[in-house]
Amino acid sequence: MKLLIVDDSNIIRSKIARALGSRNLEVVGLARNGHEAVSLFARTRPDVVTMDLTMPEMDGIECIRRLLELNPDTLILVVSALADKATAIEALKLGAQGFLCKPFSEEDLAEAVEELIKGAVHG
Amino acid sequence: MRFFGLGKYRVIVLTVAMFLVFDLGVLVLNFVISSQIAADALAVNMAGRQRMLSQRAAKTLWQISERAAAGQPAGGETAELAEAVSLFDETLTAFLQGGSIRGGAGTTVTLARIDDADGIAILQRANAVWAPYRARITTLLANPAPSVDEVRSTLDVAHSANLELLKLMNELTSQVEVTAAAKATTLRAVQIGGITLATANFVLILFHFLRKLRQGDALLEQAKKETDDILVTVNEGLFLLGRDFRIGSQHSQALEAILGRKDLGGADFVDLLRGIVTEKTVGMSRDYLDLLFGERVNEKLVSSLNPLDVVEVHFDDQRGGFVTKYLEFRFNRVREGGVVAHLLVTANDVTKRVQLERALKEAHERAKGQMDLLVEVLQVEPDALRDFLAAAALCLDKVNTLLRERTASATDRREAVIAIYRLLHGLKGDASGVGLSGLAEAIHDVEDLVVALREKHASLDGNDFLPLAVRLERLFAQVDALRGVVNRFAQIRGVVAVEPARPATETDAAQAPLVVRWREFATRLAEKHGKHVQFHYHGIDPGKLASPYREALPTVINQFIRNAVVHGVEAPAQRLIQGKPAVGNLALYLAARDDGGVDLSFRDDGAGLQLAAIRQAAIDRGLLSAAEADACDARRLVELIFKPAFSTRASADEDGGRGVGLDVIRAHVNEWGGNIRIGSTPREYCHFRISLPRPSPQLSAGAAPAHGEAA
Repeated sequence: MKLLIVDDSNIIRSKIARALGSRNLEVVGLARNGHEAVSLFARTRPDVVTMDLTMPEMDGIECIRRLLELNPDTLILVVSALADKATAIEALKLGAQGFLCKPFSEEDLAEAVEELIKGAVHG
Repeated sequence: MRFFGLGKYRVIVLTVAMFLVFDLGVLVLNFVISSQIAADALAVNMAGRQRMLSQRAAKTLWQISERAAAGQPAGGETAELAEAVSLFDETLTAFLQGGSIRGGAGTTVTLARIDDADGIAILQRANAVWAPYRARITTLLANPAPSVDEVRSTLDVAHSANLELLKLMNELTSQVEVTAAAKATTLRAVQIGGITLATANFVLILFHFLRKLRQGDALLEQAKKETDDILVTVNEGLFLLGRDFRIGSQHSQALEAILGRKDLGGADFVDLLRGIVTEKTVGMSRDYLDLLFGERVNEKLVSSLNPLDVVEVHFDDQRGGFVTKYLEFRFNRVREGGVVAHLLVTANDVTKRVQLERALKEAHERAKGQMDLLVEVLQVEPDALRDFLAAAALCLDKVNTLLRERTASATDRREAVIAIYRLLHGLKGDASGVGLSGLAEAIHDVEDLVVALREKHASLDGNDFLPLAVRLERLFAQVDALRGVVNRFAQIRGVVAVEPARPATETDAAQAPLVVRWREFATRLAEKHGKHVQFHYHGIDPGKLASPYREALPTVINQFIRNAVVHGVEAPAQRLIQGKPAVGNLALYLAARDDGGVDLSFRDDGAGLQLAAIRQAAIDRGLLSAAEADACDARRLVELIFKPAFSTRASADEDGGRGVGLDVIRAHVNEWGGNIRIGSTPREYCHFRISLPRPSPQLSAGAAPAHGEAA
């Protein structure tokens, strides 16, 4: 499956790519903000997206809205700090399927994405 | 194999089908037999009509005969006779062959052929009588004006045939009646059998379903009892939440205690939350429940966003106040036919857990604060730290005094605030300067309160100072804690660095003559110098030491005492400022080792070795150049105190300052083949440890060293 990583932190992007790249997921793009994410999404058509919420230029909420307009079947895992639960719930109301709290371990992330894909397959 | 997918309803369908088949069968038989009975009734009726027709034919012939005898022509009797003969003949033929005949009132009826043997025999006999009889009548009717004789001879035939025919038709009637009765009997038997079978089937169904119902009821009862037992016993609040956010009719008993109300079945969960948590939490909870009832989010991947994971709630205590609790709600989807039908909610009162976690966290933070303080203390120069503590005590006392005197007038109070601000601001600067950033922050917080007071435009009253007094109290406690840390740390350093194992004290050794003399000497010397000391002794009786140690020991100990009292122990006022008790402590340990050697330890809690003073004295006495002194490390500087004629004291008196003393001790120890070690921390302690070997025979035999000096 193809994966797009959206986060304004270089360290987090690298960490996610390292954790998931070795688990049968092909990392097709690394985006630093919502604009880059939308552009990369249109070009690479990923199946799974990990999405930060607080980013410059275009935040995660707006980005999720745009990505799901392009493909409503996209699996989106919100990866963000728990400081603002209300925003995270807003992201889920828009159509993201899961949430992972920062900070996270590579194992936590891999399990969350696995669960996300499994949930999508088995409904 | 499943029976048309009927499952558990297979038996009822089968039994009902059998019931219908029985009923249908009985109905068909009833119809067939009752049709036959109806046919038999017609036959009886027609057989009876034959008797009447036979009588009518005979009677009409008699009337025709009477008319002929009277010479009258036959009237309507001829037509009546022809009709009676025709009907009789038609009916008899129908009995024999079956067919339609004229019934009463111009109707046509169908007569079934008589097919039983007795009936057929009767009909054949009747036909045998009827055939000639009919032929005579037919001949008579064919003659428009028959003679009297012709009529009378036909009447004679009629007379005998009519009786025979009446008899035979009676027999036929009886025979048809018997046949009909037999059929009626069969019909009753069929009806009774069918009803019996149907009733049996019905009873079977009834019994079967009563048994099934009883079994089902028992299972339901058992299941309900088990559920009730669980709901009554379980400590968690359990209930099902519907899509309309209403609590299901069943819930655990504990839920009422957890939520603090009864009648929860059917209550709106969100409304219930509205009274006990913030409106924001209510809104988030509704959104979260909507997400769980929806199918898009993954249940496992959103649980960390549960706004009711641990939530602070406030219940009315019915006394005008409220009770604060911490509740935990967990939600699990319950699916029916693949669709989320309910959420199973588990509620727990986690107040104790949360309080314990908070207490642990506070304890952890306190411990961390103390550790931070310790780390800061470790990084601060001891002298600077002591100066700071002395300054802090002075400053806070001044602030306290200002606060106590604040009640004079509004103007005085404002001036007091300004003075307190200056004092605290200065103290904050000092704390930052020595590196006590934690304390500096605490002082800064108090300073903020003072600034707020200073900037208050309305006149200040006594109550305005209350928060400041409280915070200041806390600041006092922090400074005390800091002093405690410093003192404890000093003790730990002393023990860890140089404290030897304390030797077992021999009985009365502390009262041995030598020890008493040392104690008196120390006390006397201290008094002379305006100081107070306590002399502590542990170990063996020094009088029991082997020669030459026994003889030389008083000189060594006296020198240590003199050195400690004159150079080490500070004046009482100085000691108090440094956070020490006013009375100084001298401790002497003396232990005999198993190998025959001796360990000696002498420690005072005075000023310790003053390396700067030693360095200066070495330069002053020409032992080192200034450059050499600067380059000297602590170890080399300490070595200097054992040099002959070395003293750090500016002026000599009878008790010190001439530099005589430690060099004498060093000389003894070297002579005996022992070693001497020094440990010291400035302003805390100075500690000498001497280890001596078993005395050699030469030493034992020799005289006491010439350096000896009595107390």
